Amino acid sequence: MASAPTAASVPPPELALALTGVTLALGGHPVLAGIDLVVRQGQFVALVGASGAGKSSLLRLINRMLEPDAGTVAVHGADVAGLDAMQLRRGIGYAVQGGGLFPHWTVADNIAAVPWLLGWPKPKRMERAAELMAMLELPPHLAQRFPGELSGGQASRVGLARALAVSPRLLLLDEPFGALDPETRDELGDRLLALHRAQGLTTIMVTHDLADALLRADLMVVLDGGRVVACGPPAEVAADQHPAVQNLVATPLAQARALAGMGK
Amino acid sequence: MIAGWETLPSALAAHLAISAAALALALLVATPLVLLMPGRPWLRRTVMGLASVVQTVPALALLALFFPLLVLLRNLTGLPVPSLGLLPSLLALALYALLPLLRGGAGGLAAVPDSVRDAARAIGMSASQRLFHVELSLAAPVVMGGVRTAAVWTIGAATLATMVGQESLGDLIFAGLQLQDWQQVLLGCVAAAALALIVDGALGWCQRGIAERRWAPAAKGLVLLGLLAVGVTGWWLHSRPATQVRPVLIGTKTFSEQYILAELIAADLRAAGQPTGVRSGLGSGIAFQSLAAGGIDISIDYTGTLWTQALGRSDVVPRADMLRILTEQLKSRYGVTVAARLGFENAYALAMRRADAERLGVRSISDLARVSAKLKLATDLEFLSRAEWMAMRSAYGLEFASMRAFTPVLMVAALKDGAADVITAYSSDGALAGADFVLLTDDRGALPAYDALLLVAPGRDDLARRLARYDGRISVDAMRIANWQADRPTSKRSPAEAARWLATETGLQR
Repeated sequence: MASAPTAASVPPPELALALTGVTLALGGHPVLAGIDLVVRQGQFVALVGASGAGKSSLLRLINRMLEPDAGTVAVHGADVAGLDAMQLRRGIGYAVQGGGLFPHWTVADNIAAVPWLLGWPKPKRMERAAELMAMLELPPHLAQRFPGELSGGQASRVGLARALAVSPRLLLLDEPFGALDPETRDELGDRLLALHRAQGLTTIMVTHDLADALLRADLMVVLDGGRVVACGPPAEVAADQHPAVQNLVATPLAQARALAGMGK
Repeated sequence: MIAGWETLPSALAAHLAISAAALALALLVATPLVLLMPGRPWLRRTVMGLASVVQTVPALALLALFFPLLVLLRNLTGLPVPSLGLLPSLLALALYALLPLLRGGAGGLAAVPDSVRDAARAIGMSASQRLFHVELSLAAPVVMGGVRTAAVWTIGAATLATMVGQESLGDLIFAGLQLQDWQQVLLGCVAAAALALIVDGALGWCQRGIAERRWAPAAKGLVLLGLLAVGVTGWWLHSRPATQVRPVLIGTKTFSEQYILAELIAADLRAAGQPTGVRSGLGSGIAFQSLAAGGIDISIDYTGTLWTQALGRSDVVPRADMLRILTEQLKSRYGVTVAARLGFENAYALAMRRADAERLGVRSISDLARVSAKLKLATDLEFLSRAEWMAMRSAYGLEFASMRAFTPVLMVAALKDGAADVITAYSSDGALAGADFVLLTDDRGALPAYDALLLVAPGRDDLARRLARYDGRISVDAMRIANWQADRPTSKRSPAEAARWLATETGLQR
């Protein structure tokens, strides 16, 4: 699988993520075609695009939930094809819409799932879970509850806490706040950004919320039909005239202008 | 005391044991299949399809089908594979329990949300961690639901194991049905239902414990199961006679005459100090096979039945020749000894209401053939597929307006209330002593004789010698009256009481 290391294919270690010529087909259908993407450490990346553009698949290539048909994926300078998939995944935070929590585990056990996999003793796991609950403003009495008893916002916070449990350097988020009401989503978006900055994380977030992407991301990547059609700071991308980009940003920008007009 | 009470502990213990063993075997088969199913839709389709087909076969037929299958296996391999009793019951019941187990297992695993599976993979769980800590844990309540269904079905279906010679609570039910001893039927049914309810309740506690991840209910369920097993075993051991010698077993088919004669002989042997038990309610062909295999020691059978079923012959020969040939061939082919010819015949016959017979001028089967096209025939369950019917039909050219099979105990009622105009009957049938029916004579001699014989298993010549004194001692009139005592709807006697009357009447009692 791994191509011979050359000067061009081994990215420098300060790069959190480097995708080179990544191509992927699922069930005979092309999903991603020749993706090149570089993310520096500490960047907050928003991955946007229409449904079916390949956003989630791209995310899943990074922790080897999917394997590319061609090209390389490097995390912190190491080609992931040469790493043990389970170890790699344990070292990368991952959260999905609704939290993806284990319904039969308590909140504390869910949060401490990766520490459990790494063999931490129980007191240390519970201590870490309490710490993360405080960090994400979850009331301590929820620790022994089950996910079915949580509100949507609480479940999303628990999912995020689980992703952060062993202080990963890289965080992958697949529409983490997708099903929440706008107010909670905004509040959690701010909380996430603050954690990202405070812990020096690199965050890759798939989102449908363009306002979220435009306002919070350092780097905005627009996918269309399995290709990167725009990549750069949100202000630059918003001005890009590519029709796929304009389709995405026109409505939120127009709404923002209209709202700004009302405020005056 | 209710009839059947003294056999209840042993039947209950056997019932619980066979059910538990069948369920364990089914779990052993279903578990790997369920674990292999995810990601293999073809396996899931094939296995579930086969299990569903099995479920469409009535449990009784499934039990019966294992008998020829195991006989075939024995003949092919030459191994001493038992074809009656425990093995066929175990296999058939296990097969029957598969579907709910597979449904529960496959359904439970399929119901685990994709997002949860995905998350388990994404946080770096290994395949076995995902299976045990996520998929099976989440599926467990549904899986346990399948186990509960399977357990209740198995306990219910195990009552039918009686028919292939496995002791179970069905012994009480079938004996009671035949004797119209509803208390005994009820006792068997209530015991089976109670067993099913207790097991279902206990497994329900386990299921709740698993679903809620609490030890207390699961432990309660396990303790209840343990108490049940210990209690039933203890009661059985306590009630068991102290003797360690295997008792002589008398096998009976499912009708009163057989129960009465078995009690007669059992009382006789017990009086002589020989521990004796009765295995009741065996299927017609199965009683003989069981005897030949040594599963039972004594049975009561009939020359015409043995002629077709054991020797495979369909010709009609004179009565004396038939008895001689049977005596020789049962010995040479099966090692079975004809210990005595009891002296009465229990032949297939046709019966009509006396008023109809007189109005239509019917005395013999030839007379009947003239008017039968307008009449309704009710038969027992097997008559229409027996050689006797073929012979009778071709000899007399019988055609009926309709033909329906009934369980034997209901045939007399069918004739009485007009649901049928003609029924198959047996010449020693007690109901003929108590109702205004006429038996039609076989004027063309189309049917073989049905002399009642006492048969003894291979290697039990000691028993054959002791039973020789029964030869010619029981007349058809005495047998018919004894049968009527057990069969009549009012002031009914138990088979043991009827047997005591018969012993006195025939002078067999010492």
